[in-house]
Amino acid sequence: MKKNSKIKVVTGNEAAAIAASLCRPDVIAAYPITPQTEVIEKLSEYHANGLLDAELINVEGENSAMNSITAASLAGGRVFTATSSWGLVFMYDAILAASGARAPVVMANVNRETPGIIAVSCGQQDMISIRDSGWINLIAEDCQEILDMLIMAYRLAEDDEIQLPVMVNYDGFYLSYLSEKVEIPAVEEVDNFLSVLKKQPQRPRLLPGKSLGCGSHGILGGYLELRYKHCNALQRAKNKFQQITKEFQKQFSRNSGGQIEEYKTADADIVIVASGSMCGTIKTVIDEKREEGIKIGLVRIRMFRPFPEEELIRALSGKKSIGVIDRSVAFGFSGGPIYIEVKTLAQDINTSALISFIAGLANIDITVLNIEKIIADLIDASSGKPYKTVNWIPFEQEA
Amino acid sequence: MIIEVRFHGRGGQGAVTASKIIANAFVRAGKYGAAFPMFGFERRGAPVSAFGRFGDTPIRLKTQIYKPDCLVILDSSQKNSDNIWSGLKPDGIILLNTNEEFEHNHSNIKTAGIIDAAGIALEEIGIPIPNTCIVGAFAAVTGLIDIELITESLSDYFDKERLRANIKCAERGYNEVKIHNF
Amino acid sequence: MKKKKSEIFKYLKHPDPFESGLSFCAGCPLELLIRLVPKTLGNDIVITGTPSCSAPVLLGQNTGTWHKLAYYGTLMTGAAANATGLARYYNRAGIDNTVVCFNGDGTAADIGFANLSGAAERNEPFIYICYDNEGYMNTGIQKSGTTPFGAHTSTTPVGKKSRGNKNRRGKNLPLLMAMHRIAYTATATMSNLGDLAEKLLKAKEKKNEGFVFLHIFCPCPTGWGVGTDKSIELCRMAVKTNYYPLWEAENGKFTFTHKVKKPKPIFEYIKLMKKFKHLTEDEIQVLQESVDYNYRLLTKIEAE
Repeated sequence: MKKNSKIKVVTGNEAAAIAASLCRPDVIAAYPITPQTEVIEKLSEYHANGLLDAELINVEGENSAMNSITAASLAGGRVFTATSSWGLVFMYDAILAASGARAPVVMANVNRETPGIIAVSCGQQDMISIRDSGWINLIAEDCQEILDMLIMAYRLAEDDEIQLPVMVNYDGFYLSYLSEKVEIPAVEEVDNFLSVLKKQPQRPRLLPGKSLGCGSHGILGGYLELRYKHCNALQRAKNKFQQITKEFQKQFSRNSGGQIEEYKTADADIVIVASGSMCGTIKTVIDEKREEGIKIGLVRIRMFRPFPEEELIRALSGKKSIGVIDRSVAFGFSGGPIYIEVKTLAQDINTSALISFIAGLANIDITVLNIEKIIADLIDASSGKPYKTVNWIPFEQEA
Repeated sequence: MIIEVRFHGRGGQGAVTASKIIANAFVRAGKYGAAFPMFGFERRGAPVSAFGRFGDTPIRLKTQIYKPDCLVILDSSQKNSDNIWSGLKPDGIILLNTNEEFEHNHSNIKTAGIIDAAGIALEEIGIPIPNTCIVGAFAAVTGLIDIELITESLSDYFDKERLRANIKCAERGYNEVKIHNF
Repeated sequence: MKKKKSEIFKYLKHPDPFESGLSFCAGCPLELLIRLVPKTLGNDIVITGTPSCSAPVLLGQNTGTWHKLAYYGTLMTGAAANATGLARYYNRAGIDNTVVCFNGDGTAADIGFANLSGAAERNEPFIYICYDNEGYMNTGIQKSGTTPFGAHTSTTPVGKKSRGNKNRRGKNLPLLMAMHRIAYTATATMSNLGDLAEKLLKAKEKKNEGFVFLHIFCPCPTGWGVGTDKSIELCRMAVKTNYYPLWEAENGKFTFTHKVKKPKPIFEYIKLMKKFKHLTEDEIQVLQESVDYNYRLLTKIEAE
């Protein structure tokens, strides 16, 4: 444990609020929505008690939350907001404007179901709905990672080689309300970690009296160039995140980053690809299966956008069977969204079986039995038995 | 070893906070604790369950609890509901907030702790929120955690007069819980 | 004989940051307004704008900008929220600032009304200017929330079964904003430039206390069917008929800044343009009653 750190039992939402406070944001604007509400309640509490020195804007909707922090960011401020589900959708135009303007805003998104049917429950559909918005998307597994990723998110967003908005996603209910042990670094340690940004060239700022234009209107001829540069910055974010992860680990003695986490994959024949809170359960089951002699591992996606193609190819190449578990759907496709993206790498991965599992929608528990059944299916597929490519769990499977 | 505890209450009784306090006490002991509730819209009066895992190894499971080692029932009006008893393991422990005599109603109960937590809370803090008394009783019934760590944990959730009154509740829960072994 | 110089020039203390030959429609009074703002307030304002009639000039939509100001191209949905973020950050960082959120009536009264109202309720420290040309003119003259009764637009056309805009009253946006009891609300138009400049200067001072909303009546020669030399006359007649009374409100306290002794009937105003030319006497009476109602209401509020 790092000197001056504190151990506390906090919820995922509290961890997010603490992380944001530790990074000393200038402007915070947010609007309440279950299961994110506790984040802004905590920030308001810190602010009211003098523990958080920031402009706190209690906006009248999420759209305004994103718009006001984007503007404050382009003026030079460090900013934060948090949302979830329909809130994320309500700020959709502003999300696009933020990334188009290359505003380095940081947002926590508490994953909750979204389109069509209102469900106050966990699911990654909200994140999937905005995946082509040009943001960097990270996904946390537990409360510690929420805190650590948000701190790293500022390093990534504001880096002069990146300059892009970052969204840290974590599962609603399963993580937002999970109370567990979190090591909270001292604010001076976080200052130190972020101080690198101060040594970098300052980004252009929209200031009174300075001739500069920001925002969503451009000359058509420049559009292609801006898109090209935006896409390149996203690609650069992959290695940048690896580098920031290393520095974070050096300073805080924890690995909470990297594009993917590989859990017991080195000698594995069978690999599960997944993200978010369900990975804790998957690891527990993998440990049991390993004792039975089954060579199985997990590749956990921590960075969803940019998509970690190279890392996934490296980690998954030559595995006999691969199962991708999605906590969301891809409308109009058979198979989950992350599954479809992994499938684009099939030629490089060269596996005999790539199987989609759709699980955990709308708070449906992803149980130990579910994971055991998935593993059994993957074992069968690896030995050449016929298998179903797309599996809905537990809709088509007993819990 | 990890003990799996399922909490049952109604919104406003503090079932979720009870699960947090116990997780907090385990972490203070240098052990591990993780707890989360399951509900839709937050409402006073609606049935709430919370899932707590406490032990001496890291806790990575992120599922609800189907086969609890222990049931903590803050709302005795639900005590005859099948949902509550679902999956209780053999040699199970139960902790019940009631002012009535205990009826042994489930064959898997090995140990039962009975306490009028709402009554004690009414006396000590003036409102019948049973959760802090129940967590004190939890320490006595399970023997897995020191009552001192439970009362220390309360300082993360209450302060001033409220803290003193809730510490009293927890201590009375610890001392006054009636333990039946079967 | 030497021509007397207009008193407006005493307010124009700052250089004009705009190029000549701006890409507005011929006769559009918006050009006069947009030049007046930085010439009165100074060139160190930060101006924000949405896709709108001012966008080709202010934001350089598809062309490149026509000015040297610091500007921010916002979304119509979030114009006031963007300005909020700027002003709050500048204030926090100790940067002296005048943020001018410059939008049409479509943004202010319709799609961006929620965040305009939110910024007003929170008394955010910036100036919101709505130039009201009573419709979506940049996209080709569609009805907005401030389009008056009977007006012909491309989405409320006059036809066999339609008599133009059927809603009997447009949204009284300046009054709605004043009802938020913000630091300063005012109406102004380009026929009364001295009054407009005074109100701009007052706005700059008042935004230090909180939210400022300036509502500028801004006729559209193209969309309303008027000659390109008639814009200012339209402004003048709107004032003289009490169609557009000039007033201000500080923290909810109302004052008329220009009282019309003998208001002309609304017919004198509507006869100047094509958008009302189909109206019958009964329909004109509906408009007259709406004008009278609004004026009576203002008189009562002023007496409060």
